[in-house]
Amino acid sequence: MAAVPTDSGSRPAAGARFFCTAGRGLEPFLMREVRARLAATQVEYISGKVFFTTCSDLNMLKKLKSAERLFLLIKKQFPLNVSSVSKGKILSEIQRLINDDPESWLNAISTWKNLLELDAKKDKLFQRAANPPKRKVEENDIINAKKLKTKQLQVLQESGECSLEKQTEEETQEQGDFLTEREKSQEAFQNDVVKAADAKNQKNLTFRVSCRCSGAIAKTFTAQVHLPPKEVGRITGIALMKQFGWKADLRNPNLEIFIHLNDIYSVVGIPVFRIPLASRAYIKTAGLRSTIAWALASLAEIQAGAFVLDPMCGLGTILLEAAKEWPDVYYVGADVSDSQLLGAYDNLKAAGLKNKIELLQVSVIDLPLPSESVDVIISDIPFGKKFKLGEDIKSILQEMERVLHVGGAIVLLLSEEHHRRLKDGDQSSIPLSSEGSHTGEPSIKKCLKPGGKTGTSETVSSSFEASSQECLDKTPPFGSLVPVECHKVSLGRTDAFICKYRKLHSLGL
Amino acid sequence: MKLLTHNLLSSHVRGVGPRGFPLRLQATEVRINPVEFNPDFVARMIPKVEWAALLEAADTVPKEPIEGYEHDEKFLRKMHHVLLEVDVLEGTLQCPESGRLFPISRGIPNMLLSDEETET
Repeated sequence: MAAVPTDSGSRPAAGARFFCTAGRGLEPFLMREVRARLAATQVEYISGKVFFTTCSDLNMLKKLKSAERLFLLIKKQFPLNVSSVSKGKILSEIQRLINDDPESWLNAISTWKNLLELDAKKDKLFQRAANPPKRKVEENDIINAKKLKTKQLQVLQESGECSLEKQTEEETQEQGDFLTEREKSQEAFQNDVVKAADAKNQKNLTFRVSCRCSGAIAKTFTAQVHLPPKEVGRITGIALMKQFGWKADLRNPNLEIFIHLNDIYSVVGIPVFRIPLASRAYIKTAGLRSTIAWALASLAEIQAGAFVLDPMCGLGTILLEAAKEWPDVYYVGADVSDSQLLGAYDNLKAAGLKNKIELLQVSVIDLPLPSESVDVIISDIPFGKKFKLGEDIKSILQEMERVLHVGGAIVLLLSEEHHRRLKDGDQSSIPLSSEGSHTGEPSIKKCLKPGGKTGTSETVSSSFEASSQECLDKTPPFGSLVPVECHKVSLGRTDAFICKYRKLHSLGL
Repeated sequence: MKLLTHNLLSSHVRGVGPRGFPLRLQATEVRINPVEFNPDFVARMIPKVEWAALLEAADTVPKEPIEGYEHDEKFLRKMHHVLLEVDVLEGTLQCPESGRLFPISRGIPNMLLSDEETET
């Protein structure tokens, strides 16, 4: 990764507070990730969202791999009181979200602008470093270019303004996949920053509100007081216009406001990126959901110099996510299908990872590899009746076990059916690994109810979290493979299990 | 297919067992891909390499890893080139015991056995 010259002292002083949406079951992974990647503090998981504080800039935030979308927090408070099913009262509750505390709105927007401006500065410096203007490069030129850079910075700092030159196509050079990736997201950033610049006088800010309601509150809203989410959005919009003088723009606003009302909280935030984090610039055709693919890889203990195999790689999503995060590793993907391998090949090419990931056309139950030659196996076991006769989950696991080194890890995504099949397997005399199942997450934070009921706290956990331990308890060892962790995750319409095994000893001993 | 990969592959034709290694490589189309040199990574691969098999597949390989190879940049660069930059796009891999041929196409070896061949 090219080194980007930074000016120290331009990072946000104190941390800013964010929240992410995440697929059900992925929240523990996200909590671990924000701590590790962003040195996040005050990390909480409440009912489908992970809240955290961090000083990281947009560059680092953009790297989050297990989150769906990222928002800057404006406010989080107790849920709306809908006990009195009166439209008028509910409307005034909604307006209070804005009017009670305008400071927090303005602070959040100021933070948001700072983040975007800081990113634009870095972008600009990076542009100059990576794409020098086309002319003869002589000593003097280099010195002058440096002077120009510093001057530019000073100008930026003094005026507080931030105007981006349009990136000319002629200046673009092929500099490897990193730059390509940046270019793709460049447009999104440029748009965001141009908008921040327009908004230097906050009165000129244009905005759009999107509102989501869930839980019992949603039912009350729609069924009893005829208040669909769009209406809530509209009312919020009017209140914002009155309070701050902003103008609504439904097509192309500077600022997006996101409101989520449910029975546990009312949350308001600003989406930080136009495109969801889960949508990766480097993946051409997604197979498995990228967030889950990354989560699988994150459990696999991938070390530098390891040999990592995905024997049912499909379009290669897991290997792509792994290779982006852990590059100094030897990756091999295998599949039986011509079309899948062609797709994987395309994906590798598009991501610039053809040199990092090798492809084989082989069958997972008959791997042409010597025993104990692989360090890590990660795979998404295809769901449904795609298997030929005799090719069941047990034969698959058996072959994986054979080629794996002792001490090596296997991380699989299993359908409920596969997981059930394994549960019925013969119990080995090997005890469960003492490593335990917890990912070391703190207990779920409490959330106060309105009406000042201090002292009574409500632990909010998803049914998924509770079942992870249960799921591990029900996963028996498989030969010399001992279950280490088990997490239930949502794939949208269905649920699945992320199961990790470790090979304890050699076969045939 | 890189030579590092060839070094790992073993024939799984029935009854062949360990005599199915190494596969005899016949390359009809080879491309040299420049790959960023990472000495640490190459040093980690060296102990995993089956040297005899590598010698068979490539001609310009030192007879064996020299002592202190981890710090010998010249040696590591040579190995980096052989293991990671030589890419066999078209060719065949042959089982030394049964003679069975496995094709390599677009850099991807096809080692699927037919249903009859997989029957024990």
